[in-house]
Amino acid sequence: MKKTANKFFISFMILLVFCSFIRSENNLFPYQQFGLTKRQAAAHLLNRFTYGATEADIDAVEKMGLEKWFEQQLKGNFTDKELQQKLSSFDAINLSNTAVENIYPRNAQLITLAVKNGYVKKDDIKTDDKAYKEQIQSLMRDKGYKPQQELFRQFINQKILRAIYTQNQLRELMTDFWFNHFNVSLTKNQCAIYVPAFERDVIRPNVFGNFEDLLFATAKSPAMLMYLDNFSSSGTDLSSSNEMSDVTEKPFLRKMKLANQNKKAKNNKGLNENYAREVMELHTLGVEGGYTQSDVTQAARVLTGWTIAPMGENGYGANIKKLIDKVGENNLTKNGFIRQGDFMFVPTRHDSGEKTVLGKKFDSGGFDEGVALLKMLAHHSSTAKFISKKIATRFVSDHPPQSLIDKMSESFLKSKGDIKTVLLTMVNAPEFWSADALREKTKSPFEFTISAVKILGASVNQPYQLYHWITKMGQQMYSYQAPTGFPDNGQYWINTGSLLNRMNFGLALAAQRIPGIRIDLMALNKYKEPESAEAALTTYSKIFMPERKLDSTIERLKPMLTDPNLETKVAEAATKYITPLGMDIVDEQGLMKEEQLKNKKVPVVGISTMLSQVVGIIIGSPEFQRK
Amino acid sequence: MISRRGFVKAGGLALFGISLGGIPSFLAEAAASTLTPALFKKKKIMVCIFQRGAMDGLMAVTPFTDNFLKAARPTLFMSAAQGGKTKPLIDLDGKFGLHPSMEAFASVFRAKQMAIVHGIGSPNPTRSHFDAQDYMESGTPFSKGTSSGWLNRAVGLLGHEAATPFQGVSLTSSLPRSFYGNNPSVAISNLSDFNIQLKGNQADANKAAKSFEDLYDQASSSLLKETGKESFEAIKMLQKTNTQTYKPEYDVVYPNSALGKSLKQIAQLIKMDVGLEVAFAESGGWDTHFNQGTDTGIFARNVNDLSSSIMAFWTDLTKYQDEVTVMTMTEFGRTVAQNGTGGTDHGRASCNFILGNDVNGGMVHGIVNPLAKENLEDGRDLAVTTDFRSVFSEVADKHLGINNDKILFPNWDAKQIGVMKKV
Repeated sequence: MKKTANKFFISFMILLVFCSFIRSENNLFPYQQFGLTKRQAAAHLLNRFTYGATEADIDAVEKMGLEKWFEQQLKGNFTDKELQQKLSSFDAINLSNTAVENIYPRNAQLITLAVKNGYVKKDDIKTDDKAYKEQIQSLMRDKGYKPQQELFRQFINQKILRAIYTQNQLRELMTDFWFNHFNVSLTKNQCAIYVPAFERDVIRPNVFGNFEDLLFATAKSPAMLMYLDNFSSSGTDLSSSNEMSDVTEKPFLRKMKLANQNKKAKNNKGLNENYAREVMELHTLGVEGGYTQSDVTQAARVLTGWTIAPMGENGYGANIKKLIDKVGENNLTKNGFIRQGDFMFVPTRHDSGEKTVLGKKFDSGGFDEGVALLKMLAHHSSTAKFISKKIATRFVSDHPPQSLIDKMSESFLKSKGDIKTVLLTMVNAPEFWSADALREKTKSPFEFTISAVKILGASVNQPYQLYHWITKMGQQMYSYQAPTGFPDNGQYWINTGSLLNRMNFGLALAAQRIPGIRIDLMALNKYKEPESAEAALTTYSKIFMPERKLDSTIERLKPMLTDPNLETKVAEAATKYITPLGMDIVDEQGLMKEEQLKNKKVPVVGISTMLSQVVGIIIGSPEFQRK
Repeated sequence: MISRRGFVKAGGLALFGISLGGIPSFLAEAAASTLTPALFKKKKIMVCIFQRGAMDGLMAVTPFTDNFLKAARPTLFMSAAQGGKTKPLIDLDGKFGLHPSMEAFASVFRAKQMAIVHGIGSPNPTRSHFDAQDYMESGTPFSKGTSSGWLNRAVGLLGHEAATPFQGVSLTSSLPRSFYGNNPSVAISNLSDFNIQLKGNQADANKAAKSFEDLYDQASSSLLKETGKESFEAIKMLQKTNTQTYKPEYDVVYPNSALGKSLKQIAQLIKMDVGLEVAFAESGGWDTHFNQGTDTGIFARNVNDLSSSIMAFWTDLTKYQDEVTVMTMTEFGRTVAQNGTGGTDHGRASCNFILGNDVNGGMVHGIVNPLAKENLEDGRDLAVTTDFRSVFSEVADKHLGINNDKILFPNWDAKQIGVMKKV
């Protein structure tokens, strides 16, 4: 009897544990406690974790279940056929850094090559001279070089297209988030051509992984090594160079030394603290994370020797390349060199003395010191807080409540920096669903633009046109100069100049005045003719901002509709409408040809001016700036 | 909080519709003149021009008696003597000669309205354009993570609430590093873009503008509401003059260059009394590694554009000269010796120009030691003897009445060199 009771008891307990497990799996997001309907909650979820959602999207998530949708997004593994199709003509976006070095030489390299190959005489290098420019052109044609601008244009276009067309919306948003967190910039010429691979190989695959992996990947990437100068940081005095002396003493090494001496004279660098400082201040601990200037210097010493492997025929690191060719990979390894892809650890540049960072001693020598340092930073409690706050600021509110940050950073530490877990904690927290969070965030110019295009179902043949507008609104993509990345708050995004440009973008987009971006306003309403001007206003407001209270917006817009002929215009629009798609001139890379476009008038067929104005104003309205 | 909110309080034009064209013009004019808040008037204005690419200070203002320089630059050195291979330099003081293509500057230098600082540069020895510009614009030569730019901090230190969105304006397509930060500043590449635009139909544009204005007036987010209000006030301010048909005074013709266009628009803003206090413009093409030329060629064209743009601006603003100071800056200078391709490479110190009635003008300030090997930085470059922050802070302090160098240039002990008149 007793035994059976025990058995019962045990089974009961197992059942309990099992039930609680099941329940936690099926846990619903806690939106009901704030009086949100499932549909309102779905709209909020999509507002924060996609670049823009239509009513149909909200329907789908409501039906599927919010939790399941989020789970799918965290996997982020939709195949995205439509997007891949659109990206298939972009020949530059999948190139390795080495290939990029070989195909897209920097200006200075081009000039050197032009002289070397006899295209230009030294005395004829006149950079603003027409004949000179033509000679450079013919060099490029003959050698198959392409202008860097083309690489950047494709890179910018792919981001715009991904944001619009990917089903893996959260992966794309997180890519944007982590890129901005580990900001590198096209404005720094030396690192610019490494930026596409940085986003593709370093950021995008790691956005839902472990924070430590992300930190390591960025630390070792050519873009970051160049942007924050660690590639040049040396703990040994390069000018009195014993840099290569313990490898061998061949004549070419003397040349190397000399080259290094010149480099030293040129850069006068030695130890460079930039990366060490920013990795603590901006990437991990945060400015109040409890480190001192001494920690910065010591960390910089730990990271000496972390540099970029030579790549490309004319590209970076030609000297080190020669060294490797002469000495051979095997001997390098024996001597403590480490090569991982584009990353290289050069032991002769490493400061092997004892260092102390945040109270921890680093004297194991070589590459492992840096590994230990980054691990320590990745899992530090200050990092947990700093990263949690930053994620919450991005997805919840410009001023996220401390209670939420605490939950997230606890989850960060418990999961050893698992980003998925932290995101789940955030979205399962009541704070995410509270009235304080709803529509509290302001769309960035990029988010604003993409959301308008997505909701309009626009056909985007010239993404670069959107880039121009996004720049005007204050967010030149990939070009924030400072390592802080774009500030992520409404105060920063909304100022007089940028706000006017948002309004003008709405008007231009709706009036079909942006080349290469075509919309079909009637299709949005399934070609149903609105019964009246007022009905048009109500209908289109709801299409653009589903699940929002729009009474006051609609009320304010009514006076616009005083045009006595409006209803006729709307009616005419419905009958005359012809879809003006497929008229843009696009070359095989999906890029527009500006010259051809200049003289080409884009006829606006049949859309009522008034309807397009209504839509333009809805896009430019204050409510549509929020998410 | 953000001081630009003051603008809303000061604005008085809101009672009029979006387009002043709707009211009889005499009334509009009267409204414009009486309602221009007094605090916009007679504000001091600092105009900064960044010469991107690193100007060769030794060619712009040449220590022409220096034989070391002459030997180091066999084909680039110019003399102040008549009858040489090139047009002579303009002898400023027996030691320094101004490049002949900058003749436009000679008269203001002699009138003591222009000062030159030679040997100016950054304490950080980087020769990377990006890094050096970044450090100069953030104003923190050893820290990249500084989130704000020095001009943005200058705006914050003006000591009064911004009465206008045009307190800090950059005539560039995106906000330069100098203006990064929380204080109000706006990038405008073209003043005529600063409006609600609907092609071809002014009535519709006005209607759209009116709708936007109403919508933003009712916005539940205070940020959007107030910024919206500011935006429409700003449009109205600019509508007082037609930005497209602007005619400079004194028959001035601005060069049709990027810098000329920028300065012309800054002059418009100043004359419109829209409350401008800190302005920024750029000039490019200074990275002269190849065949930089002497009295003709790339460098000559660049300095000619720089000086004639600035002088067009200065003449156009004759009535405002007491209020305006112009200062140029460049990230570093170039090598003392010319390179193998008739140009110069990245160096250290350069020079800069400061123009204004409160400038201690007619002098070449700073220290340029004889260019012997032992006096050169790293054995090759003109040494930095004046920290750029000494000059920037002095101009900002004296001209704009800023009084907190700890904030303007953090972690720096101010030592100024007297480029501005003592008050």
